[in-house]
Amino acid sequence: MLLKSVYNEFIKIAAKPRSYLGLGAITLLVGVILFALKADGLSFISFVTASFEQTLTFEGNIMNGNLVAFIILQMLIIHIPLLVALVTGDLVSGESASGTIRMLLTKPISRTSLLLSKFLAGAAYTLLIVFWLGFMAVVVGKLLFGSGDMMVLNSDGLVILQQDDIAWRYLGGFAVAFLALLTVSSLSICLSCFSDNSIGPIVATMAIIILFTIIGTLDVRIFDHVRPFLFTTHMAAWRSFFEVPFPEAAIWKSVLILLVHNVVLIGVSIFQFNKKDITA
Amino acid sequence: MHASLIKPNSGSIRIFGKSLEKNRSEILAKTGSIIEKPDFYKYLSAYKNLEIFARISGANASKKDIYGMLEFVGLQGRERDKVAGFSHGMKQRLGIAQTLLHQPDLIVLDEPTTGLDPQGIIDIRNLILQLRNEHRKTVILSSHNLSEIEIISNRMVIINQGRSVVEGTVSDLLNSEELVVSLEVDQVEKALRILQEEFKDVPKPKIEGHFLELALSRTDVAQYNQALVRNGLSVYSIESKRKLEDYFIKIVNN
Repeated sequence: MLLKSVYNEFIKIAAKPRSYLGLGAITLLVGVILFALKADGLSFISFVTASFEQTLTFEGNIMNGNLVAFIILQMLIIHIPLLVALVTGDLVSGESASGTIRMLLTKPISRTSLLLSKFLAGAAYTLLIVFWLGFMAVVVGKLLFGSGDMMVLNSDGLVILQQDDIAWRYLGGFAVAFLALLTVSSLSICLSCFSDNSIGPIVATMAIIILFTIIGTLDVRIFDHVRPFLFTTHMAAWRSFFEVPFPEAAIWKSVLILLVHNVVLIGVSIFQFNKKDITA
Repeated sequence: MHASLIKPNSGSIRIFGKSLEKNRSEILAKTGSIIEKPDFYKYLSAYKNLEIFARISGANASKKDIYGMLEFVGLQGRERDKVAGFSHGMKQRLGIAQTLLHQPDLIVLDEPTTGLDPQGIIDIRNLILQLRNEHRKTVILSSHNLSEIEIISNRMVIINQGRSVVEGTVSDLLNSEELVVSLEVDQVEKALRILQEEFKDVPKPKIEGHFLELALSRTDVAQYNQALVRNGLSVYSIESKRKLEDYFIKIVNN
């Protein structure tokens, strides 16, 4: 029954026009960035590397697909949660608002199974969004800009990664980015269980992300104990895959915290959805 | 509550002799329901909607079954149309199709004719009668439209303020007491005189034109009619003026 319900959820997501907004937005945004970098990428690079040019000489294809993909991810990864929440935040509350949840629950499917099918469908949609972002950034980026060693500027300085040492980093980075976005998906579905209108959970999800991001960036001692446990703190963990030495322990910690968030959010959702009277 | 959408504050619900709380899936697999109004995915076609509901009903409904069901409820030719363009009556019919796909033993319809135009009401009424008479389904109909109940139902329960006030077959309940009968005859005064000569304690009549209105028992109605015909009067019509509405009001007010 669970798998049948997941299939139903796929059909519904595929039939909703808003599901294609995310894919369209990624295509458009990445397209604009690729166009801008193709047109004037070198001046962008020289602006970034200006402080190193007195001590270092850069040779070869610096503005290559690997770097372009990194720039795109860095620019877009904070906006993708909205695209995910736009679809997942509507999965339960949208059906409450339209009354279809009442029809579904007169069928011999348990509430837990129905909700889990929505989580699984939300996860699949999130994966599709991450996959499309990866395809547009890495594959299309490499097609347009070619390949080469990758230059990454982080808080510790400049890191040069060999081109044959990059693919696994992107795979790992996208996997962690998926887990972070999955947390956003779980959060929005969880909020969706508390609401009977579709806009509320989407707005609330974004509000929470903004609030947590502010708490995470505010250098105030009172938040020091909270900051490491906020999922937003670990949304940028994908970047750690491009650090040398590779911070394995920090990445595993981020993965664990994101997983715990997902488990808790799914648990709260199941509890709330099961005790909720369906009166809409 | 029978579909466990709302949890009871107290007590328990048994359907098919089993506890709903413990056997929810088993009971719902044998039940088809429309609660209040049938809500569908407006962005999907009638066919896709039925496919979605059939999939989680435990039914192995084939494409042919779904098309057959849409034909049964009179939606043939609209299978691929999006529900967004459907009228309220069409949605009600699609709702009934959705309740039937998994061949339930019990169908629960909550206010199925609310908001429908006269033709829509007739269509839904005929569908329900067809389910009852041809498909031998048990239909529980919840309605405030008492004339519909009177036409469709065999048994009824009147619920007032959450409590069952009266229960039984519609005909028995309606005929258990005196009826108010309107007799249309050619000569009203003569008819009254004949009745007073032939019967003791003829109730006080109300006379309007050619109509003689009397409170009678069912057996009195037949005897009065025979007496009038035997004495050469023409009886054009005999109409029971006691309707479910009157009965309902009487029961509820008591």
